[in-house]
Amino acid sequence: MSRNPRILVVDDEPQIRTLLRATLIRAGYQVVEAGSGRETLNALAIDKPDLVLLDLGLPDRDGLELVETLGKSETKVIVVSARDDTEQKVAALDLGADDYVTKPFDTDELLARIRAALRQRLASQAERQVVRIGEIEIDLLQRSVRRGDGEIHLTPKEYALLAELARHPGRVITHRQLLTRIWGPAHQDRTEYLRVTMRGLRQKLEHERAKPSFLINEPGVGYRLVIEPGRNPSAQ
Amino acid sequence: MAMTGLTSGTTGAAQGSAPLLLRHLAESLAMVGAATLLGLVIAPTWGAAALDLIYLLPVLASASFYGLRPALFAGLSSALAYNFFFTEPVHTFRIDDPADVVTVAILLVVAVVTSQLAARMREQAQIAAANAARNATIAGFAGRLLSCSTVTEIGQITCRQLATLLECNAVLVAGGAGQAELVTSEPPDVALTPADLAAAALAVDQGETAGRGSPRLNPAEWLFQPLKSSSAVLAAVGLARDDGARPVADEQLPLLDSLLDQAALALERARREQEMRDVAQVRERDRLRRVLLSSVGHDLRTPLTAIVAAAEALRRRPNDLPELGAMIETEARRLERYVANLLDMARIESGAIRLKIEPVDLVDAVAAAAHDFRHSQADRELVVDVPADLPLVRADPQLLHHCLINLLDNAGRYSPPHSTLLVRGRQCGAGVVVEVVDEGPGVPAEGGAEVFERFTRIEGSDRKGGTGLGLAIVSGLAEAMSLRVSAANRADRKGAIFGLHFPAELAVDQRPEEASD
Repeated sequence: MSRNPRILVVDDEPQIRTLLRATLIRAGYQVVEAGSGRETLNALAIDKPDLVLLDLGLPDRDGLELVETLGKSETKVIVVSARDDTEQKVAALDLGADDYVTKPFDTDELLARIRAALRQRLASQAERQVVRIGEIEIDLLQRSVRRGDGEIHLTPKEYALLAELARHPGRVITHRQLLTRIWGPAHQDRTEYLRVTMRGLRQKLEHERAKPSFLINEPGVGYRLVIEPGRNPSAQ
Repeated sequence: MAMTGLTSGTTGAAQGSAPLLLRHLAESLAMVGAATLLGLVIAPTWGAAALDLIYLLPVLASASFYGLRPALFAGLSSALAYNFFFTEPVHTFRIDDPADVVTVAILLVVAVVTSQLAARMREQAQIAAANAARNATIAGFAGRLLSCSTVTEIGQITCRQLATLLECNAVLVAGGAGQAELVTSEPPDVALTPADLAAAALAVDQGETAGRGSPRLNPAEWLFQPLKSSSAVLAAVGLARDDGARPVADEQLPLLDSLLDQAALALERARREQEMRDVAQVRERDRLRRVLLSSVGHDLRTPLTAIVAAAEALRRRPNDLPELGAMIETEARRLERYVANLLDMARIESGAIRLKIEPVDLVDAVAAAAHDFRHSQADRELVVDVPADLPLVRADPQLLHHCLINLLDNAGRYSPPHSTLLVRGRQCGAGVVVEVVDEGPGVPAEGGAEVFERFTRIEGSDRKGGTGLGLAIVSGLAEAMSLRVSAANRADRKGAIFGLHFPAELAVDQRPEEASD
């Protein structure tokens, strides 16, 4: 790492920006701030942040518009949204946001999301090919999944689902994205395919199917493969 | 039907069509001929004295079956036939005997009088039949209106009735000038022009007939009649024919008036009922608002007080950070949940819930809720028991999440610290049920449903800082998703079981083979 990653905090509430700045600096990041859409665009051009923490409720611009602009760039985007706006979350993710956190957010959770979003930028090619969760090893190049010494046999759809999640560890992938990539655009609303396949996958990978610890569901949004269970509260 | 009897009755009595009259005349003539033949047969034996009476038969028959004019015709032809065949000199129209002159004259007079009597009787019978048909129509119509409770339903019944009865198109328009709008029509795809709507609005505003064929607002294609209650004009009924002819014949006006009166009565009744419902709703909303306000006072202030106090203490005694910090966090989370619940409640109350139904794995749903719960109530053990092969269910994942969170929250709040909560899923018939089981005081003696009503607080719960808002939200959200809620006491020990029931039609038929390849 040549320098500490730089994070642009976009929120129209100064208190929230102050709080986030303190938290992020303590976690070792560089921080720049913006309070409006215009300031955001300026900061993007001048400071070239690695990641944007974007509150969708901006006074001068539709937050989703910014997501669309940012989605096309190298910059990672984590959307900060109100608690119940599932539709907005999904829209932001489908437009290219990398993840979301819900206000009021948990600091540990926020930092875990930031790490997950930045990880891919920083990860080497080799690291991207093999993903480890506890004793499970997913080799994306060999298309194999092992637990300890034994190979775990997955159906093609189960593997495709796991691989899709493992390619972006820690990040939420929407139902639509998963369905489109695995079953094809014609099946993008067949959430039940996803549910059933996920059941099979959990049966083979999770210790306790009723208490998933790394194949995590985000109600109404999508699935997330949690690879740092110790630090992520999602895994209890 | 009643209506056909009515139409043919009135028109037949009034003028009758020309061919029908001709036929009646011919048949009367034939009866006179038959009487003459009979006379010719019996005259040689018994003499001609009784023959004048024979001629009364065709006159009476004709009068009672065909009406006035055929009867007069029969009387005249009888007199002539009697004169021609039976009075001296026979086979001429001359009459020599003065007694025969009297006979012929009497025959004529009798013909005239009886035919008039018979014709009048016939007319009265027809009027009675027409009245019966009319009354049956009105009664049937009123009966059908009884089952209606909305303006649209009343409009549909009225339009259909009028369209069938008058063989024309009918519409119901509500609202006066500027806000007249088509409620319903027969046939269903009728479009009104601005001129028509203006005429309808005029009928509503003035309470008088307007539109085509009336003195008011002639450019309209429809004839609008107001539907008046004792106090106000409620709507207007429009009538029109495809061929542009007058939609209502004069003799149908009384019946139309009666029907419109019935429709107006029904509309008035519907309006009263709606008003009563509105009043009840306003009262309920008022009550909610009062309870909500007092709840806001209590449930917002309590955690806020704790947070402020803890923050102040922290400033003076920074060493107590772990304990005070934890307290601030707990109270702040409580505030967060409460605010979220207030928002949910407002959405339920305003009917602003938009459902996004999709197949949900209850394993997922319960795991997500359990995660949130453990986050906020760390001192209670939560056991999850959801079989992985439970059918998927159709639900809005976010709303279901809120339901589960609130049920868990409620269970946590009412059960002693360090007790165990259980959330389990199981199949129940063809449906699925998710239950939250606690070790608290249980629900009041089988008054299960009551605890789900708004702001019911289980006795002595004040200290727990709950308003019952949570359960009310569960019930509201569950209703929106067509789920049933239940509350019961545990059989094995003290404690309550709160259930969310997914009926069979919400369970998803799974076809794993489709999904997996």
